[in-house]
Amino acid sequence: MFLSCLKATALINKKSDASLSCVENIQLKAHKSMCSACRNYDKQISVIDKALNETLNKEGLSVDVEALKASILGKIKNSQ
Amino acid sequence: MARDSAHNNLSDWVENYTDPLFQWAHHKVSDNEMAKDLVQDTFLAAAEKLSSFKGDSKPKTWLFSILNHKIIDHYRKKVKQPLRFENNSIDSFFTSDGDWKKEKQPNDWPEDSENLLDNETFQAVLKECLDALPAHWSTCVKLKYLMNKKGDEICQEVEISPTNYWQILHRAKLQLRECVEKNWFKN
Repeated sequence: MFLSCLKATALINKKSDASLSCVENIQLKAHKSMCSACRNYDKQISVIDKALNETLNKEGLSVDVEALKASILGKIKNSQ
Repeated sequence: MARDSAHNNLSDWVENYTDPLFQWAHHKVSDNEMAKDLVQDTFLAAAEKLSSFKGDSKPKTWLFSILNHKIIDHYRKKVKQPLRFENNSIDSFFTSDGDWKKEKQPNDWPEDSENLLDNETFQAVLKECLDALPAHWSTCVKLKYLMNKKGDEICQEVEISPTNYWQILHRAKLQLRECVEKNWFKN
């Protein structure tokens, strides 16, 4: 019934991807009510989740498309 | 003659579709150099298979389908690279009873989370920490957030078991959080 911190953190990671079962939810809640480290972990992972979504999806594009085209055309020629 | 006109087509395609293909590849792998290579490989593959392109689909659609295969292959290869379990395994965070080791317990973060999300330094630290993860792990994390897919779909695509995937993600998240905490509060 009582989760270890190891299991609790595994559930916290899992719930950002899949939903937890009823039992898992209750176990996690119970654990967090007693464990400040895992409460912190939960809060911080949700911040990191959101930040990862933003950072990874808006990273600036910096590429010279014309140079890329020229290099591709050159490679195609060489490969014929 | 037929070969010549096919060739001309290919040059036109490079001219017209390099940019959209690159944008797409970049969106999927979040890495400039890798995205360039993927687009290049796409056109090289297209040059090779040109005779099999019958014009049933639009050239753009055909090129994108080649690119998508290359992207999946890229992730598949990365995940297949042998795993090295370094000292940053689960054991370094938890005792044998599964409790946090004292020095590894997550501390309170002073700022509230809404502020952190707008903070560019925080984002930069996070990106650095992500890049510092073992390649294998950061690949799994990137797959999750870039492909916007659920765990089971990712497992199917890159052919790893769900157990393996969840373990990697668990370790990666523990490591990421700790790295952010150390580097964020140091500044």
